[in-house]
Amino acid sequence: MSLFKARDWWSAVLGEGEEFDQGCLCVGDVDNSGSGHDKVVVGSYMGMLRIFSPHASKSSEEVPADAQLLEVQLQNAIIQVELGKFVSCSDLLHLAVLHPRKLSVFSISGTAGNVEHGDQYQLKLVYEHNLQRTACSMTHGTFGGVSGHHSLCVQSMDGMLMFFEQESYSFGRFLPGFLLPGPLVYNPRTDSFLTVSSARQLESYKYETLAVATEAETRQDQDLSVNSGGKRLTPDWVFVLGEQALEVCVPSFSHSSSFIFILGERNLYCLRDNGQIHFMKKLEFNPSCFLPYASVRDGTTNLLLCNHTNMLLVYQDVTLKWAAQLPFVPVATRLANFPELKGVVTSLSSDGHLLCSYMGTDPSFFSTPKVDAREADYEQVEAEMKRLQKLIREATRTQDILPKSMTDEDLTVKVAVSSSMDDPSQALIPDIDGLLIPSITVQVKLKANSVIQTSKLTVSIQPPLAVTQDQFILEPMDIGSSTSVKFSAFLNGRYLPADLKGEITVSYNSPTELNPTGVPKILQSTFTLPLALVCVPSSPAKTTKFKITLDTNQAPVQLSSIFSEFSIKSEDKDGNSLAFQFLPGPKVTLLASKTSQRYRIQSDSFEDMWLVAKELVRRFDQYFSKLGVKDFKKSFSGPLPLQEYFLSVDHHFQLRVSAKQYQDLLSEQAVQFRAIQRRLLTRFKDKTPAPLQNLDTLLDTTYNQVMALADAAEENHTQLEEAFVRLRGSTQLLVLLLSLSQGLTPEQTAILEATLLPLLQDTPQLGWEESCDAAVSHLLRTCLSRSPKDQATSLAHTGAQILGLPRDTDRLKRHISLLCDRIAKGGRLTLASEANVQVPAQVQHLAAPGGIEPIPEVSGDGEDLPQEATKFIKKKHSVKKVRKDKKEESKESSEASVKEGEAADEPRKEKKETKKEPKKDSSSKEKKESSKEKKERDRDKEGKEASKELGDKKVSKKPSAKVKEKKKEPEASED
Amino acid sequence: MEVTIDPLFLAWSYFRRRKLQQCADICTKILQDNPYDQDCSLPISEAAWSLKTRALTEMVYIDEVEVDQEGIAEMMLDESSIAQVTPWNKPGWRTQPVTQSGRPITGFVRPSTQSGRPGTMEQAIKTPRTASTARPVTSASGRFIRLGTASMLTNPDGPFINLSRLNLAKYSQKPNLSRTLFEYIFHHENDVKNALDLAAQATEHAQFKDWWWKVQLGKCYYRLGLYREAEKQFRSALNHQEIVDTYLYLAKVYQRLDQPITALNLFKQGLDHFPGEVTLLTGIARIHEEMNNISSATEYYRDVLKQDNTHVEAIACIGSNHFYTDQPEIALRFYRRLLQMGVYNCQLYNNLGLCCFYAQQYDMTLSSFERALALSTSDEEQADVWYNIGHVAVGIADLTLAYQCFKLALAFNNDHAEAYNNLAVLELRKGRVEQSKAFLQTAASLASHMYEPHFNLSILSEKIGDLQSSYTAAQKAEDAFPEHVDTQQLLKQLRVHFAAI
Repeated sequence: MSLFKARDWWSAVLGEGEEFDQGCLCVGDVDNSGSGHDKVVVGSYMGMLRIFSPHASKSSEEVPADAQLLEVQLQNAIIQVELGKFVSCSDLLHLAVLHPRKLSVFSISGTAGNVEHGDQYQLKLVYEHNLQRTACSMTHGTFGGVSGHHSLCVQSMDGMLMFFEQESYSFGRFLPGFLLPGPLVYNPRTDSFLTVSSARQLESYKYETLAVATEAETRQDQDLSVNSGGKRLTPDWVFVLGEQALEVCVPSFSHSSSFIFILGERNLYCLRDNGQIHFMKKLEFNPSCFLPYASVRDGTTNLLLCNHTNMLLVYQDVTLKWAAQLPFVPVATRLANFPELKGVVTSLSSDGHLLCSYMGTDPSFFSTPKVDAREADYEQVEAEMKRLQKLIREATRTQDILPKSMTDEDLTVKVAVSSSMDDPSQALIPDIDGLLIPSITVQVKLKANSVIQTSKLTVSIQPPLAVTQDQFILEPMDIGSSTSVKFSAFLNGRYLPADLKGEITVSYNSPTELNPTGVPKILQSTFTLPLALVCVPSSPAKTTKFKITLDTNQAPVQLSSIFSEFSIKSEDKDGNSLAFQFLPGPKVTLLASKTSQRYRIQSDSFEDMWLVAKELVRRFDQYFSKLGVKDFKKSFSGPLPLQEYFLSVDHHFQLRVSAKQYQDLLSEQAVQFRAIQRRLLTRFKDKTPAPLQNLDTLLDTTYNQVMALADAAEENHTQLEEAFVRLRGSTQLLVLLLSLSQGLTPEQTAILEATLLPLLQDTPQLGWEESCDAAVSHLLRTCLSRSPKDQATSLAHTGAQILGLPRDTDRLKRHISLLCDRIAKGGRLTLASEANVQVPAQVQHLAAPGGIEPIPEVSGDGEDLPQEATKFIKKKHSVKKVRKDKKEESKESSEASVKEGEAADEPRKEKKETKKEPKKDSSSKEKKESSKEKKERDRDKEGKEASKELGDKKVSKKPSAKVKEKKKEPEASED
Repeated sequence: MEVTIDPLFLAWSYFRRRKLQQCADICTKILQDNPYDQDCSLPISEAAWSLKTRALTEMVYIDEVEVDQEGIAEMMLDESSIAQVTPWNKPGWRTQPVTQSGRPITGFVRPSTQSGRPGTMEQAIKTPRTASTARPVTSASGRFIRLGTASMLTNPDGPFINLSRLNLAKYSQKPNLSRTLFEYIFHHENDVKNALDLAAQATEHAQFKDWWWKVQLGKCYYRLGLYREAEKQFRSALNHQEIVDTYLYLAKVYQRLDQPITALNLFKQGLDHFPGEVTLLTGIARIHEEMNNISSATEYYRDVLKQDNTHVEAIACIGSNHFYTDQPEIALRFYRRLLQMGVYNCQLYNNLGLCCFYAQQYDMTLSSFERALALSTSDEEQADVWYNIGHVAVGIADLTLAYQCFKLALAFNNDHAEAYNNLAVLELRKGRVEQSKAFLQTAASLASHMYEPHFNLSILSEKIGDLQSSYTAAQKAEDAFPEHVDTQQLLKQLRVHFAAI
């Protein structure tokens, strides 16, 4: 990572396949020419000794041969070469060459020739020592303070230091605790040897100490001498580095500087002669070699440092002064003075690259690899671009991040509920109070119109009803293939369900061309279980607590003809009374007046009448439509049974309150339990155990209490579930009665139902009471409020409070009564005025598309919109098929986009990247028309969709009926 | 002519030249001839064993200072003050292209901070943990990036050292073997417990006077999550000997203990002993940066450059600082410097492209991005680059290109909240309100700290007349960025409107 590279001054590649290491490079005036110019001596592991005298090449010719002074093949591998005054009675420099088993000293002499390249150099062996042990490195210096001559010290692989005083071997010593050799240098200032041992510490041995220590010829001897308490070799001082060192260097530039430099594997250290740290630097790279070379400023030292990322770094103490790129990783580097140039960095790589370089501002050319770029043929590129654009357009139309709706059906689902009960019954509970519980088979037939993968069918049914299997995994289906599954439904609890409806959900993947794994889709279908599943005919009861009377405008019908399957055992001859004995116990009696067109439902419990009432209404509708009676009307004239209704509300609320109490108690007990545990634990952990003081008994008791509480809470929970089902039953009955008494349209009934039954499930966090209260009060504040002014102001405050368990049910009861009251007084349930506000929570997400309608439409086409909005609400309840939910949305969005003209002033980011751009400048009238048309179309579509549904036979009539209603609607809302 | 060299010497020489594999091979051969036995063996086999241990360790060595793998649980449950002032909330960043984490792409990754802090558990699980925790580029080359522990590397003959059979007590008595063995256990085998055992016995053998063993004990404790014990060991080691590494480890402990100020003081104390030490200065700068104190961080990075002007991290950070203070031209110079120094990766080209764009050097912009795409190694990078290209496309008003770029960004990274946001704006321009709304909601749910999706949603809702939604969205936008003027105005307008009704 450097800007510049080292400038190449002279370089050579030595040999082929030869290896070099740290000691193989030596620089000095080896032939004693006296010119002060350095020669480069290189020895290789293959035994080649080469001497160079580099000079700048004048021409572009290859490595000039005359730079090489000498090349000799020696017998043994050359581990290290050193220059020094190794020969007694001579002040000339001699070359010491270390072989694995031999130390040789040579003299090199040059004879000047007549021509420039005629110089002759000769290598002459002066003396040699054979070594007993494998050598690994050597150092030289004026050991013992002898001036003028250099002694040699060879370190062997097994830790022996062998000292040679010129031609004679003086002594050998083993280093203590030796394992692997480290770098070895002689420090002339303190006359001591420095090495980094395998214990990863820098050790300093005085030469004197070494000299007087016990002579050891073998390692074993040395061990012996330790054991016998002889003069043990101990270091002068040690410094723990904690890492292996690559090189140690003791430079001496001036008298003032007395530092030892150690290049570790991860740090660079600078110590004083006495082993105190002077500075250190953490290296963030892997260093290979270094060389302190000068002291430019007083007190600081400059050093060269090479690393394994081919860098040559120049530091002044810890500050990086220069960084240059080298072409290789050097194993040794030296500074040399050559005739033309002084201070040349000479470096040697492990595979024999010898480079003399200097610093310069030659940029290190990092050439970025070319991105695969061909010469652009513009026509071709344009054609390709067009093709790709087309593909992209195509793709965005068909598939996107948000999937689009599809017109054709992938799958049709038919649900058939068998007409007779199973034999034998599949129910889990065989009987309740002697009454056998029947079960009924439901068959689901699936027909695929395209390839369907990984489809899964789920049955959901209201508790306490249950099915034998509620999940089916279906085989992949091909186009046109069909499959069917069967399951049985039955009562699985000792109370009545709130609804006999069940729902089938099929989720599947339909693969497309580009998406072989398929787009996940969902299909839903409903089915209704027969009343006979939960009740048996019985004898009518005369006196009951609760009564409901329904009026009709048609002549009285025989009840037995309507409820044909229940009339078999009926003892009543004239067939105007009928009784249902529900399996869990309660009995409901149905009476028909002989004279008037009235029917009475009576029972001992309010909630249980719901199923019968619903069934009655349904069968009336069916019966009269079969007869061809068009204007059949049914109504409920009596006072609304609010008191009875409130009883079940209170019951439910009571259970919720106690559930909360149980929970509080439980948490209290749990806290207590933990506290006791903690105390016990500290007692046990204590080293001097204290008496338990009956804490164990307390723990046991608390545990039992917790368990008892949990059991009670569980039971309460079951009761709560049951109560909620009953509450739903009674609420639905209330909704039915309310709609009958006021003749509400199906849309209004749907709103009412959504208001009073916002949740399908009760949770501790969000219960029925508060959500129902919120919905009711919203209705009261908006469409049922007394003045439009109220309505407007209330909008700003909605959604402020957080829903939580109310203190009591008074408020709710008051609100519900008020709601009934207002509806009775002619209040119209509509979401029309809410087109621009937040709709009640339960319909919010589906109503949102309606909310998109631009405001101007309200003023211009005021009466249309309510219908529009309610339509969407309606969908929530009437459309049984939800195709990824987006179907509706995308339809709406397409509609919305037509009207986008008004909303053209689009939102934009603060960067103002979006500019105003009115999309369509059509007149509002046109728009109105088009939107109307669209709506008609939508409606038709909806009709078509609906007609495909099964399980709801009346649907086919819907489209026409709806259009009619729509026309009627404006008039109705005029008042 | 054939010359013979002692194999152990050759292995030793190879080790010094970092030809580790060759070194290990030779040692294996020596050990086959002279099996190593714990009790009595030839010195040569003991030496070879030690050398091989060192070679194997060096192969997988990573500086412990740089290793910081926070577990998911730690990341999620971490309540440290550094975490709470991560530059998430810094205003005005969303529209500027940044990496997923909110940290500018600066051409280097750093442990622990490189992917920011995941907001949710899900995100945390998705975030790549160890694999991309690389070292700064300055030091990554020449070393090995460890993707897991070395012990997972398959070795046909089973592990080199069978730790369970090792008599640690015996080894702890041998100072010339114990340190090597410790590093092997710690770095190669990643067996912290055994390493701790060895270190404890060895420090006892050294009569608690060896700083190195204390540092190693501290490292073990740190790995085990015993930060207070680690702190004690490091402190004690510092009493024996001041060493740069010890300062770094101790500061790391303090950072983990959520005491950034103590760590800063410690770094400064370290600088008193080792003036100009780059690693200490970098440590200070990083803490400042994480505490969102970018200007002081830049100061320290400048100090780093005074000591070491090839420090990639410092150059990159100063460059990104200039970029985010709207000086793209200066940032460009820093990034170009990095390029000249030989940094060559996706992030750098991405940044170059962006700087060129903002410095109005359009000719270089696209070619830089082209290179960035060619160099990108992960889907996240691709997504970021495409997002930035999309941004440039918006800038040159080529909305079709922008649309496609954002789509591509989403194709590469489905969680790219910024791309969702911008795509929503483009969709809105096309008049597809529903799509736009869906995208905005997605963006808001993916990155709740961004204010743009909320603000855009608010404006959108206001235009289509859904004042209530507009109001709530505007409030969310205000939470994310309280000083945003446009949000303030919108809120005011809405309040006036409500009051009028």
